[in-house]
Amino acid sequence: MTARRLECELVTESKLEEMIAGQFSDQFHDSKSIPDQAWRPVAASILASLGLDHHHLVVCCIGAEMLARDLPSVFRFHVVAPESIRLDNLIADRQLSRGDAKTRLRKLASAQALIRKRRFGQKASSATGFDLVLNAQAMGMAEMVDVLVSAVRSQGRLEAAPLSASAAAQVQFQVRLQLARCGLAPYLVTSPDRIRVGRKPFGHPSEEVFANLLDFYRIAWDYEPRSFPLQWDKDGKVSEAFTPDFYLPEFDLYVELTTMKQANVTKKNRKIRLLRAIYPHVNIQVFYQKDVQDLVMKYRSPERLGTSKEP
Amino acid sequence: MTPPAIERVLFTEEEVHRRIREVAAEISLHYADRELKLVGVLKGSVFFLTALARELTVAVTVDFLGISSFSPSKAAPGMVRISKDLDESIEGEHVLLVEDIIDTGFTTRYLLQHLSGRAPKSLAVCTLLDRTPRRIVQIPLDYRCFEIPDRFVVGFGLDYRQRYRNLKYVAVLNPEIGG
Repeated sequence: MTARRLECELVTESKLEEMIAGQFSDQFHDSKSIPDQAWRPVAASILASLGLDHHHLVVCCIGAEMLARDLPSVFRFHVVAPESIRLDNLIADRQLSRGDAKTRLRKLASAQALIRKRRFGQKASSATGFDLVLNAQAMGMAEMVDVLVSAVRSQGRLEAAPLSASAAAQVQFQVRLQLARCGLAPYLVTSPDRIRVGRKPFGHPSEEVFANLLDFYRIAWDYEPRSFPLQWDKDGKVSEAFTPDFYLPEFDLYVELTTMKQANVTKKNRKIRLLRAIYPHVNIQVFYQKDVQDLVMKYRSPERLGTSKEP
Repeated sequence: MTPPAIERVLFTEEEVHRRIREVAAEISLHYADRELKLVGVLKGSVFFLTALARELTVAVTVDFLGISSFSPSKAAPGMVRISKDLDESIEGEHVLLVEDIIDTGFTTRYLLQHLSGRAPKSLAVCTLLDRTPRRIVQIPLDYRCFEIPDRFVVGFGLDYRQRYRNLKYVAVLNPEIGG
């Protein structure tokens, strides 16, 4: 009802699980096989993607207020109700006897506490984790929705600017870091707002070093997010394209890594000249692999930044 | 005598000091009657910061930061670690971040973010060398002594494998060795 009144996309627990299963299907059989510690960053990644597509969301799932910590411009609300009201709702929704409803309610509460504990490390939510807590004993559903809609509007949340591409990229960057701490190495494919979990498909070890270097400096990056057609055949099919290695959304800058070998440099320079001529609005910088190694050496941790070697 | 690893001297000792005096005069004028905290990044900026501080006519305090990377494993991303934090608070102070060289802008950007979070009254950047051809991240650069080409340079604090920092001049390293 709240989502309808606010004209927002509603994201329920089951919808979130479906989307996670859909987007991460190549790594996990279903959303339940995602490691518990990875749930929060994975779900935050999905919500950031949805935020880009739909702008305003109403998220209704276990521990939503914990997910919201990773996202900007969020209003967190919680509805509490005494057991008698929750039982009445369950009886009405599921056509259960009072005894069965009581058993069911206990099982539901215990399952939710377990999920919350596994995903977020806490069995119960705290009132201080929300911007607004409503008690269903004091107000009916319609009244609560009125209060909520009014609170969201008075906070100016609906007028707030949509999640920008760079803010979404920052969220995805944080997601990558958190997943890496779970032993998962995520990477981006198909579009900058989608994320996959798996082995990094870097074409060259120096690219992994560069990616780690960007993480070192907390700079958001996408790996090969876009190909630029450079030449077309007589049928209009793309005969030559160029895919820069990295995109840094914060600076709207593509970065191409190259070796110092003259043949490579000449070939890449030709492509970059073409790219600049066809797409003059695209910013691209060529960065030599050796420069990456120099940077790695600057803070003396070559063994810790992937597979780099000394220059 | 010039070490064999040096290809050529880019800026002589005299040129370096003359330029540092000029930049110090600009800084002294800007911060006239105010106290300035110079923040250097270990280890490269020590030599430049020392030379610069000697030429400043405003009241100066000095502090240093050290940064390095750590990572739980080879595959996981590295993270910035402040290996040596500032000794004193910079809250409400005029801070000048002193760098030996700025090239990609990665380090300077990170340090500016780090320092600005500590509520200084003002925050500016001064570098001995500015290697603009390598710039990836655009950063506000308030004072610079020299713009240099895309070559590997050593001396006056800049090293190659921790050597040559003590050279009195700035020189291009022989490309066969490290350039």
